[in-house]
Amino acid sequence: MTHAPAAPALRMGIPIPTAKLGMWLFLGTEIMFFTAFIGTYIVMRIGSPGWPSDVHITHINITLGGINTFVLIFSSFMVVVAHDAILQKKPATARVAMIVTLLCGVLFLGIKSIEYTGKFQHDILPGHIPESDMQAMNKLVRDLQYRVDGDLGLMFPDVEKREDQLSELDTKIADLSAKSPDSAELKEATALKKFYGAFANLRDHVRAEVSLSVPLAEMDKLRAEPDVTKIPRIRLGSFPEHHGGADEHAAAPDPHTVTGYFQHMQHDPELGPFVSGYEVTRIRPILYGNLFASNYFLMTGFHAIHVIVGLILFGLALKTPLAIGNAVFVENIGLYWHFVDLVWIFLFPLIYIV
Amino acid sequence: MSDEHHHSHFRTYVTIFLVLCVFTALSWIADLMHMANHNLLTVIVLAIASAKALCVMAVFMHLQFERAWKYLLLAPTLILASAIPFALAPDVGLHYYTVDVPQLHEYQRLNAARVEHSPNSPQGDVDPAHHGNAPEPH
Repeated sequence: MTHAPAAPALRMGIPIPTAKLGMWLFLGTEIMFFTAFIGTYIVMRIGSPGWPSDVHITHINITLGGINTFVLIFSSFMVVVAHDAILQKKPATARVAMIVTLLCGVLFLGIKSIEYTGKFQHDILPGHIPESDMQAMNKLVRDLQYRVDGDLGLMFPDVEKREDQLSELDTKIADLSAKSPDSAELKEATALKKFYGAFANLRDHVRAEVSLSVPLAEMDKLRAEPDVTKIPRIRLGSFPEHHGGADEHAAAPDPHTVTGYFQHMQHDPELGPFVSGYEVTRIRPILYGNLFASNYFLMTGFHAIHVIVGLILFGLALKTPLAIGNAVFVENIGLYWHFVDLVWIFLFPLIYIV
Repeated sequence: MSDEHHHSHFRTYVTIFLVLCVFTALSWIADLMHMANHNLLTVIVLAIASAKALCVMAVFMHLQFERAWKYLLLAPTLILASAIPFALAPDVGLHYYTVDVPQLHEYQRLNAARVEHSPNSPQGDVDPAHHGNAPEPH
């Protein structure tokens, strides 16, 4: 239709190119799509007192979000500059503007991936976040159990049951201490034995909900205790303060709390390697953390997919001569890109600031 | 699309781009001010976001140059888009019944523990979500 040579034919309906009408109808469905996500997020948030808003807890980075907002706004500006240049018959300018837009989109995704990496490192993922102290303790037990099973499986790949693996471990330690008491293999086996012991101790205390100050051997005696309020209850304990916190150089963590117990494991020369790479803050309880993570990934994830699609469209546009005949196509992908920008304009304050 | 001379909108676009930058900076500053009233901050940043959205739609998306079809096309989608939030609001957002979820018990427990722990804290309603765990009795 852009090749129409003479007087335009008599046409009915909306006085815009059909392709543009199609794009606007598509954007209509997109508005409904994103409003559903953003709207439900707002409603859930209003209805959840205690929603996580501290950036040190949720690992939301306002600076990165702000830079990304600027990047998208600038890229939107570049698209309209490109469209304007096409109408002014300056394809070279249009090409430069389109390439800058493309690079902005790539930069946006790069910054986004930094954010996502942080989320994975701190385990801020849907369904992974404890929301109470008890859930946090159970999460640590579960994660340690996973490591124990992995390490035992590595040492005894042919033995299936854990009890059998443990008795094999005992046999191995007895054999080696008789044969070669200085071997590295013996050290490895005893360390694993110690790790299993530390894990089992924690697990049994968490299951019984009894304080770690009670030795495992005395836990049975507590069952006879008639007054349940006298049984010392297990406590989660405190987390290391984030940077700049007042208590950063506070006293060593209390080993009778779960977080303190785990931090002592980390500092133990034998046990340390078994729990390496596991930050104790991974079990920090976050109220509504799972709902937060679901909403965060749903909204920013679908937005990122839209950015990727936009980049593909810009790549297609760059293959055209960017002459006046391509003006409608560039205007259409521009409309799409502005919509992606619009969504981010609302996501930035809603996720990063409010 | 006629091939006749289109007069350039470049200056308008630059102006709008600068306005958008200023708005973004404003919402950043509003966040850095750490206002005591969080609702005020919410209203301010969402108002700024709406203003930015209007700028983008009116100028970058050329809606100010378009004719009345834009209302015909956008009004139904906006009405339909608000259906889900409106449907969820009474149940999930406003709670017409008494809420009884584990998170709320935890929230109340933490709030109580915190108030007890620091009786002369500057704010009465301390948000326990900022710490995520109960304070340790010393």
